[in-house]
Amino acid sequence: MMVRGAVDSEDPDRLYTLTGGRSRADVRDLDLVTLIVSEADPTPGMQSEHVKILRTCRFPTAVVELASELALPVSVVKILVSDLLDAGQVSARHPSSPRASAELPDPAFLKKVLVGLHNL
Amino acid sequence: MWVTLQASAADRLPVAVAGGVTAALLCAAAFFAVLRDQQVRAARAEVAGLQAELDHLADDTLPAAARRLREGASADTVFTEIPLPDNETHERILRTLTKEISVGHRQRAAAMAACANAAGRVQALATSMLADLREMENRHSEEVLGDLLKLDHSTAQAGRLADSIAVLTGARSGRRWTKPIVMESILRGAMGRIRAYQRVRIHSASTSAIVGYAAEDVMHALAELMDNATKFSAPSEEVHVYVEELHTGVVVTIEDGGLGMKPQALERAKTAVSTTEKLDLTKLSGTRLGLAVVGCIARKHDLHVFFRPSSRGGTGVVLRIPNQLVTQPRTEFPNPPTASQPAVTATGSVRTASAGATRTPSGETMTVVLDGEQPQQPLRSLPKRRRGQTLANSPQPSPSPRPQHPPRPRTDAGAKFGAFRQSTSRGQKPDSPSANQDS
Repeated sequence: MMVRGAVDSEDPDRLYTLTGGRSRADVRDLDLVTLIVSEADPTPGMQSEHVKILRTCRFPTAVVELASELALPVSVVKILVSDLLDAGQVSARHPSSPRASAELPDPAFLKKVLVGLHNL
Repeated sequence: MWVTLQASAADRLPVAVAGGVTAALLCAAAFFAVLRDQQVRAARAEVAGLQAELDHLADDTLPAAARRLREGASADTVFTEIPLPDNETHERILRTLTKEISVGHRQRAAAMAACANAAGRVQALATSMLADLREMENRHSEEVLGDLLKLDHSTAQAGRLADSIAVLTGARSGRRWTKPIVMESILRGAMGRIRAYQRVRIHSASTSAIVGYAAEDVMHALAELMDNATKFSAPSEEVHVYVEELHTGVVVTIEDGGLGMKPQALERAKTAVSTTEKLDLTKLSGTRLGLAVVGCIARKHDLHVFFRPSSRGGTGVVLRIPNQLVTQPRTEFPNPPTASQPAVTATGSVRTASAGATRTPSGETMTVVLDGEQPQQPLRSLPKRRRGQTLANSPQPSPSPRPQHPPRPRTDAGAKFGAFRQSTSRGQKPDSPSANQDS
């Protein structure tokens, strides 16, 4: 049998009303560990999930943490975050990729290390 | 006589005889005429009596019988209650009609009950399907999410249809919420049940909530009104929903950019949602159930629905939710209880940091600690059964009410305070039973 949450924790709104019918975010390199930081304060009349994201992301928060905080599927959170990114109210930080590519050692140097290791 | 005297002797006898016969005939004729006259009079009186009885039957007896039948009395009860007509034929008429009407009423009631029952089952199915779908949406990846959302949407619409039938047949509506539902969720819940939900734009800064027992009905009424707005406006037009909090309650305005309503249609719509007129099932048509449903719900919860021309060109529908249905949402806890966080523990006072709360291994128990020195007893929670599920299938509370391990102190004061608030919000008074287990 499928395990369900407590009856009390259910809410009447369905996921497709949260996302306006979208089921995947626009092409954007958001992944589970992308850090989201809010750039603005929530304004009245905002969707409550957006408000929660902005409040949570006052400190950089990963997408997967947001998903657990909001109790929503990650793909839905990605859609909500991409809305806020479009509006410029949050920014996404990709901690690894740019720095990693800049600091990657020279292939020739790696080859030298490999040879050195073989010679051991 | 004088003719007899004047006639000759020879003719006297026949003339006398003829005269006598004539006189006798005349007398007889007169006698019969009088008799006939009396008979006619008697017959007239009888007819008049019958007419009066017939009038009584038509004007008093039959309506009284029909009324009693409508009130739910059986045909036999009606016969004993109302004065039966003296005339045997009238009585036969009365008996036949009463029996027929009674059979008709019984058939109607049986059909309504069958419909209500079937609608209830579909509601239960839809509710459990929606819960399952939600669970799947959480578990499955992005690839299937789109399909799941589509199924979710169709199921929500099917559930609304079942709700409509339930409301019209006088059964209870879909489900009861055990907590107040915030306005945003109410509007989105309503939106999610209509086909063209993507055309609905919600403008709400309201922080009010609708009490749990009425939330489902309010959502349903709003869904029907939104559905009408989207159906009767061009597919390119958006439907705007505004929420306003007044001292008389919360007012929701739904405006479309359609063609508006003709005076006749407006009159019909006003009658359908009027809180004073009862639902007339004969005026239902197969395709236009929406406003009748809204009317039923409005009568039940004293909602007020008004129609007016919209500044956007179409119709504006104003729904006023009275103050007694409006409340404030429950405050959110830092860590809301979820299935993955089964043990709810609480401390009665923050002072007792050394005693601390216990996280019981049984998982489903709730512990209230009054004081550091006082022993604790876990309270077993009752099994919860949701609609559409048998009790056997529902999550059982843990069979082991007592924790086997000694309580582990927790040092996180914030978590403790949160747990305290959780426990008090669940109806646990700080002075509720304590027990005999060592802390």
